[in-house]
Amino acid sequence: MTENKTNKSVPGICLSWEEVRKELPDINGDEALFKRIWEDNEALAYMYIWQLVLSF
Amino acid sequence: MDKEKLYQQRLKRYVTAMRNEKPDMIPIRPFVAEFTAKYAGYTCQQVSHDYNLAFEAACKCAGDFDWDAIVPNMVYVWTGLTQAVGLKYYGVPGMDVPVDTGFQYREPPEDEAFMREDEYDLFIEDPTGYLFNVWLPRTSKYVSPAGQPVTLANNLSFLKGGMAMLSYFNAFGPQIQRLRSDYGTVSAIAGIFKAPFDILADKLRGYIGLTIDLFERPEKVRKACEALMPHLLHTALSGADPDKNVPIGFWMHRGCTPFINMEQFHNLHWPTLKPIIEEIWRHGHQVLFYAEGRWMDHLDSFLELPAGSIVFHVDQDDVFEVHKKIGHKFCISGGIPNYLLAYESPEKVRQFCKKVIDEVAVDGGYIMDASAIMQNEAAVANVKAMTEFTREYGVY
Repeated sequence: MTENKTNKSVPGICLSWEEVRKELPDINGDEALFKRIWEDNEALAYMYIWQLVLSF
Repeated sequence: MDKEKLYQQRLKRYVTAMRNEKPDMIPIRPFVAEFTAKYAGYTCQQVSHDYNLAFEAACKCAGDFDWDAIVPNMVYVWTGLTQAVGLKYYGVPGMDVPVDTGFQYREPPEDEAFMREDEYDLFIEDPTGYLFNVWLPRTSKYVSPAGQPVTLANNLSFLKGGMAMLSYFNAFGPQIQRLRSDYGTVSAIAGIFKAPFDILADKLRGYIGLTIDLFERPEKVRKACEALMPHLLHTALSGADPDKNVPIGFWMHRGCTPFINMEQFHNLHWPTLKPIIEEIWRHGHQVLFYAEGRWMDHLDSFLELPAGSIVFHVDQDDVFEVHKKIGHKFCISGGIPNYLLAYESPEKVRQFCKKVIDEVAVDGGYIMDASAIMQNEAAVANVKAMTEFTREYGVY
């Protein structure tokens, strides 16, 4: 599939970690863990809106 | 028979047919929706609004009919959830429609479409953002538009809606396991897919609005479909069967003639649909084309897909002609007319099933089912006749 370059939406994500990270204090722990859990929860929000459109 | 052994037999039968091969006998996979309520003694309101009752009704049917696979709840729209979110577009049994009428989808008038004609660029730039910021406030009576004061109703819509969705989706796992362990019944599909064009038509522009757009701004329509593609692919794959046995359900609504013409199909609908099906197949999943309406004009296009990548469900097309055209490449399901199951005699049902078995199912690659989802108009005696005759006569 060709990527739509003008499409800012990334599947599975509503707010990207990279954007949220800018507003957070310095991380002295495992950033990958923070990122993974953030994106897991993002997937739930993403599922919510797309399932409303598709299934309900 | 041991239920797990029965389950494995049925799974093998169902999967073999879907791979367009010949199983031991014709699998029966009826998409029974409000029929389950009628059979189990519930109203449409009960199975629409209390998904546990819908699960009970499905299990009651699984226990009483010799069916290989069913959908764990074919009355899929839980109106308790749609009410929690505040969705305006459903006619809810017992509230907006009679208690024994299935839930209805109410499309808004053209000038109140959930997406306006001048909002294509906004949608194309960021579909997910558009859905949250523009679409949901229009479709929900509780959600406040962006920039407007936050209300208690707004907050509760997200909280209750999100938790209700998780509650509902999480309940499917135990229901699927119950069908397997208590009845030996296979869960027929996993995951959901709709074509980009259909999402635009169903939930955004409406059929009339989109029809006008196809002539006045076709390039915007194409770009909107392209913007939808990665999201619909992602959502389809996220719900797919990890064992890659059962297909992703694809509910086909408005992409066939005469809703659109052939040029629109070939220039817009099919080019934004075919790559998704191919990508899903590359991931190892079949797609069930639940071809509501008549799709005969488009079978040549579907033949471009890899052999075995789809199961084609026949609604109003002639199942015999569909078989001649694509049966060498894809499994076919359905084709037993719903009017027959609702209004004719069991003998006439048996006669039609015999014809389908003789002409369509003779070499395998066929799954017995009605043409369209069975609501509460289907007669119990006729559904029994379809089931029992297929079991007796449909042995290879």
